[in-house]
Amino acid sequence: MNGICFVLNGKETCYAGSATDRLLDVLRDDYDMKSVKCGCKEGECGACAVLIDGVLVNSCCVAMGAVDGHEILTVEGYRDTSRFAKLSEKFAELSAVQCGFCIPGMILAAEAILSANPHPTEDEVREGLSGNICRCTGYNAIVNAVLNAAKEGDGLW
Amino acid sequence: MVNGYKPATLQEALEIRAREKVVPYAGGTDVMVRRPEGIPFLFLGDIEELKQIKDDGEYIRIGAAVTFTEGLKSELVPALMKEAVSRIAAPAIRNAGTFGGNLGNGSDKADSVLAGFALDGLVRLVSSKGERVIPFDEFSVRRGVTDLRDNELIAEVLLPKDKCALPYYYQKIGGRNALAISRVAFGGVYDIRDGVIRSITAAVIGGGNTCRRCRDIEASLVGKTVAEVKANAEEYVNAYAEGLTFSRGRVSAEYRRTVVMNLIRDYLASLE
Repeated sequence: MNGICFVLNGKETCYAGSATDRLLDVLRDDYDMKSVKCGCKEGECGACAVLIDGVLVNSCCVAMGAVDGHEILTVEGYRDTSRFAKLSEKFAELSAVQCGFCIPGMILAAEAILSANPHPTEDEVREGLSGNICRCTGYNAIVNAVLNAAKEGDGLW
Repeated sequence: MVNGYKPATLQEALEIRAREKVVPYAGGTDVMVRRPEGIPFLFLGDIEELKQIKDDGEYIRIGAAVTFTEGLKSELVPALMKEAVSRIAAPAIRNAGTFGGNLGNGSDKADSVLAGFALDGLVRLVSSKGERVIPFDEFSVRRGVTDLRDNELIAEVLLPKDKCALPYYYQKIGGRNALAISRVAFGGVYDIRDGVIRSITAAVIGGGNTCRRCRDIEASLVGKTVAEVKANAEEYVNAYAEGLTFSRGRVSAEYRRTVVMNLIRDYLASLE
């Protein structure tokens, strides 16, 4: 096999570097996906979360070889969707964004929650966001933004 | 692929494993934190033979590359294992972390391994020469050391169905609700008929340099009535405290000892 071939935000691509390279680093440095934030590099903060085949994963804990044959979605590939528009509207409306560093991970975690369960309870939202750490908001605004997106975005998910 | 192999089948993976030094990789949640350098990775996460959860009549068999999230969705995985796994880290880690990886990394705080210990679980190890099936407590030697040989891969976790069907007890003590590594965890299953203990297991994280069971104490409980055990509970609690070793880590040894004793006391009180 030559290179590591995968789909990034809907486009096929092949990576010629090492299979042991970190997906987080490759997304940021080779593909300029700067929405993917580097926080802890230990799977503890969720700032680097992406969707692989629709499943939320921390990209700091993924080696490039593992993404061969898979589809990766970052906020750069998600931001033109009506789902993103609804989440963005509710995050803004409820002041759920302060410094913004955690927000790309939060948005993709919200997408993972709502795509699996379009009408989650508050506890389900809190559980779904439990791996995404935010130092600014105290979480309530983010949880409420996801709940309101689910309510007002009925049919989107 | 540079610095890596992505075999399509287990047989192909075993041939690579026999041929050269590689780092087995399934979910990556531990490997990428330690990130060993200079050794190619052997990517196992897409091998279908390692992704199955099956009931063979005697055992529930969980493939090594089954993720915790997949295990939680399966009707075959027993309740004790699900409860332990549901409290590992957070969704993104459970979506990637695997049953084989939790065993293979040799962590002394591995929550699914505790459930395997408590359920009399077995580990099926395969190589290009054959296979062997060994109990969890033979596989997990001590922190960072397992019985996995250089040419072997973990293929499956086997959980005896008779143990999976029993009532269970489980508690995890961590520093917070999510993303918490167990400071102490405790789980067991028990078979009580007509008030008499027919079998009982108790596995502990935080009482040694790997998950631990005190089989001699378990054996001493068998044949006793629940009333007898409850009347002499402190004797058993103290025997456990003597049989385990407590060391300082993120918390003090005394804290671990106190919490383990409290959990054993609570476990015995819960028997009915």
